[in-house]
Amino acid sequence: MSIEHFLDNSISSWMAGVGQHSDIVMSTRIRLARNLNGYRFPLAFTEDEAHKIDQSVSATLLDASDELDMQFSSIHIKDVSELSRQVLVEKHLISPKLANSPMTGSVLLSNDESVSVMVNEEDHIRIQCLFPGLQIQEAYAQADVLDRVLDKELPYAFDEQFGYLTSCPTNTGTGLRASVMMHLPALTMTKQMNRIVTIISRLGMVVRGIYGEGSEALGNVYQVSNQTTLGKSEEDILADLQSITEQIIQKEREARDALLKHSANTLEDRLYRSLGTLSFARIMATDEAARCLSDVRLGIDMGLIEDVDVSILNECMVFMQPGFLQKYAGTSLNTSERDMFRAKLLRERLQKEEKQKTKGEESE
Amino acid sequence: MKKVKNERGVLKVICENCKQRPAKVTVTQVHNGEHLERHYCEVCANSLHPFYVEYKQDPLSLHQLLSNWFSQTEQQPMQQKQQKNIIVCDECGWSIQRFLDEGKFGCANCYNSFRPQLPNVFKRLHNGNTKHTGKAPGALGEKIALKKRIEAIRTQMKDAIATESFEEAAKLRDEARDLESQLSTGGGDQTNVN
Repeated sequence: MSIEHFLDNSISSWMAGVGQHSDIVMSTRIRLARNLNGYRFPLAFTEDEAHKIDQSVSATLLDASDELDMQFSSIHIKDVSELSRQVLVEKHLISPKLANSPMTGSVLLSNDESVSVMVNEEDHIRIQCLFPGLQIQEAYAQADVLDRVLDKELPYAFDEQFGYLTSCPTNTGTGLRASVMMHLPALTMTKQMNRIVTIISRLGMVVRGIYGEGSEALGNVYQVSNQTTLGKSEEDILADLQSITEQIIQKEREARDALLKHSANTLEDRLYRSLGTLSFARIMATDEAARCLSDVRLGIDMGLIEDVDVSILNECMVFMQPGFLQKYAGTSLNTSERDMFRAKLLRERLQKEEKQKTKGEESE
Repeated sequence: MKKVKNERGVLKVICENCKQRPAKVTVTQVHNGEHLERHYCEVCANSLHPFYVEYKQDPLSLHQLLSNWFSQTEQQPMQQKQQKNIIVCDECGWSIQRFLDEGKFGCANCYNSFRPQLPNVFKRLHNGNTKHTGKAPGALGEKIALKKRIEAIRTQMKDAIATESFEEAAKLRDEARDLESQLSTGGGDQTNVN
């Protein structure tokens, strides 16, 4: 499959809005960091080593496509334009680090984009599995299968005391980072996030805004992930994340109920205003768009807004980013042009939905 | 840019957005090649430009923490300290100082070269842990997985005995024995997993 398939389409399989607790947990991601014996880590290796690693990892995965029942497309980062790299980053298919690497590297993508294997990022191999909703065990099972396939053919760097050896000491051990992306508008509105962030950090876990390190998350989307990778088994890491996630879900639901009970009218007004802004505004900056999308999403989840599909909002969060906008526009745009084009796309996307809805009702 | 005199007669720049608080942050926007400077107070700057802030390095960088931990905990005489800094990995040529500066290892062999120093680092990064307890690759991994299964069966067996289900316990005992024989013969290579 050509790279265009991944670039033109802002929809990925994780956006379907399915899976457990999908009204709060948008997606689950598992990442395994692995390195090969006999080659230095990407910070210290030569172009020659990079090339050899890329070849053997890519070949192993492409050969295993029958066994895995999964077709991979291999994309060499050096062959891809800067804008296309940015689009891949915005879709979370590759990291900024890989996009900017001067050395040979590539990404292997499954056609539905649920699996991406980065070669020569910070580590030789980064296996990533992205599932919709809360599916920690399922996503890990998928990553584990890929890990075993690679392990059969390639010599992993492993130490009995330290486990899987990684470039960064924060990944040493299991090399496992499990994370869930959560939409937590009610906890944010009721100013409870700071307290939650503090508590969670004591449990060897981290919470951060998905689009940055700041405490105020863009679009109220937060990522909760494990911090500890050494001295805890994979099972324990996953179980702990599951239990913390479930508790946060519970708290978010309580906060939503409280909002509905104490200020239903104000809330409904705010959510519908945001829907109005998205449907009619002519200039829209990223943060305003993210805030409005979050409001509308909350409105749908709480049954206050009925005729918009959640999967559209997931898609909007992705395509309103600068790289995607320019890809759609087919030209580079400056900030104010981007804000206008963003407003236009959001308007069109929501109207298209509206039309399909009315058509469907007429034919019934 | 709006300037006002404060009580001591010193000119102060006022935030362009709220026009109330003194400006503390200058945001430079590049607009069609033209540089445009905007002056905001901290509150407005944060709300207006949440992502345009580009740090030269991580807000709290790992290598800073690493270096601090080392200097805090290892208050050694100067001579010894210098000796520590010239431990070099023979595979990639990185010194332990370089590891601390970068916050990253140069190669897998660095773990071997800096082994005595590492528990101190890991303890802080991983909630006090210094030893891997998870999955392992290849034959070693299978052996560890087998051992874990045997352990789990033994626990079940104890539970069965506690509830006086002796038939069940005997079955579990045999199962554990089977797996143990697999472990001693099937494992193949003689790596000691403990």
